[in-house]
Amino acid sequence: MPVDLRETRLPGVGVKYGFRLGNGGRLAIILHNDGPREIYYFRRADDEEPRAVLRLDDDEARQLGAVIGGAYERPKIVEELEMALGNLLIEWVVVPDSSPGIGKTLAECGFRARTGITIIAILREPEPVTGAQPHHVIQRGDTLVTVGKAGQYAAFRRLLADGPLDPGPSPGAEPASQA
Amino acid sequence: MTLAQLAITVGLLCALGLVAGRIGLSAIPAYLLAGLLLGPNQPTATTLIQPSEVTDFVAEIGIVFLLFFLGLEFTLDRLLRSGRHLGRGGIIDLTVNLGLGLLVGAIAFGFSFAALVLGAAIYVSSSAITVKGLIDFRRLADDETDLVLAILVFEDLVIAFALGFVGGGGGELADTLSLVAKALAFITLALAASRWLRGPIDHVLARLPREMFLLATFAFLVGMAALADWLGLSEAIGALMAGIVLAETAARNEIEERFFSFRDVFAALFFFVFGLSIDLDALTSVGWLLVAAVAVTLVGKIAAGYLGGLAGGFTRRQGFNAGVALVAHGEFTVIIAQLAAGNPAIPRGDRADLVAFAGLYVLVTATIGVALMKESKALGRRLFARPTLRRGG
Repeated sequence: MPVDLRETRLPGVGVKYGFRLGNGGRLAIILHNDGPREIYYFRRADDEEPRAVLRLDDDEARQLGAVIGGAYERPKIVEELEMALGNLLIEWVVVPDSSPGIGKTLAECGFRARTGITIIAILREPEPVTGAQPHHVIQRGDTLVTVGKAGQYAAFRRLLADGPLDPGPSPGAEPASQA
Repeated sequence: MTLAQLAITVGLLCALGLVAGRIGLSAIPAYLLAGLLLGPNQPTATTLIQPSEVTDFVAEIGIVFLLFFLGLEFTLDRLLRSGRHLGRGGIIDLTVNLGLGLLVGAIAFGFSFAALVLGAAIYVSSSAITVKGLIDFRRLADDETDLVLAILVFEDLVIAFALGFVGGGGGELADTLSLVAKALAFITLALAASRWLRGPIDHVLARLPREMFLLATFAFLVGMAALADWLGLSEAIGALMAGIVLAETAARNEIEERFFSFRDVFAALFFFVFGLSIDLDALTSVGWLLVAAVAVTLVGKIAAGYLGGLAGGFTRRQGFNAGVALVAHGEFTVIIAQLAAGNPAIPRGDRADLVAFAGLYVLVTATIGVALMKESKALGRRLFARPTLRRGG
């Protein structure tokens, strides 16, 4: 929780908000009087040049704000489902573009055997895969809908991003009851 | 001016404005350059437009809109919120740069009213160019930007005051002083009106249908300009007041949105018309003045930013950045020269020199200023060792 949020008026331009980040960086957000917002990210608080600048128009900024603020976090039905699941979680996990799993089937990746996480659906354009089967192939840009326990996700994300470190079960060993 | 000439003029303004934008410059010098090209002076090969009553009238409307928009931004609230840099930074800038400007003016025109006008023209930086640069070069998140903007607000205040007498002062001392008093009274009245008349004005404007809202506002604006003109002040200060009166109303945002395009069109034409009267042949008489003024501006503005920065707790690099951001001169320098050009109390020769000087001076400082601003951080790293003092956040 940033306690040092600083508000500064920029006469003729708009308002500036700034706060330091836990990792030593700094964010500055500028609300222009005529609508656009800009977000400046400084890698270190005293850097002279921003590492990244994001410029959004009014609609985009509101959308981003709602997403980050949690208004779109999860559909209500999912929350109810989670309650019913007890200590099981449903997580949406985006496949990194560099994932070694891209182009492989779910069976080849062996997520459940290695981490205990089960993939129940794949979100992709134009048609999502509901009821994912072991033979379904992961594609670039996919988002995996998964079920598992909280403690299993760290290993799952590592596996998805970097591939297996140890030789796991041989390909095809994934039980056919994946779905 | 015929429709065909107007079409060519506006087309050229658009083309040169686009080119200026491409190379990272403000449109103001581009518009001046268009006037210089199409005007009756050198280069004569491209002469198309002669200054006339029509062009003068268009320029007048341009000034009215420019000052109206300055007024709309001009509220007591905004002044109070400009923060701690306003007084200190603004006074350092005023002392250094009006002082240097008056010195150059006195050398050029002797101890005269023209010297005062020249001092003001050299003192006041361009809000439009500086703010555009701050946005384009991603400086808004920097701490020293607060200082730059506060200094600009202070300059606006001083210039609002100067506009009151630049066009009519310079005769008998008593006359000039009474003009100054009138200008002060005018600004005070406007600020008071913006406080107390806010309710009734909103009440009236809210009841008007779309078109009549536009016409009523326009009539009020031009009416105030005419009133100020009649009182012997400039139309500029009347327009400024009209803006100030409306600045605190609920209708302000709507007024700004509706009139943005009017301002952009007429301001472009205003700078163009001013460009028409720039005479490059005058370089023989104002050449040295131009060189001296540009040198003084570079030294004075960077010094003001640097000193204002140190006084405000910034590092030397940050102060340097702030000073460089203030080098570009633009709209106010041109407006001051334009108003002075219609002032019979200034000798004819001096007026011609002032106009030629202001046009060329804006062309040069707007170009150098923006180029320097782009490189100021790299320059600052070379000039100043790693700073020891840092401001957080």
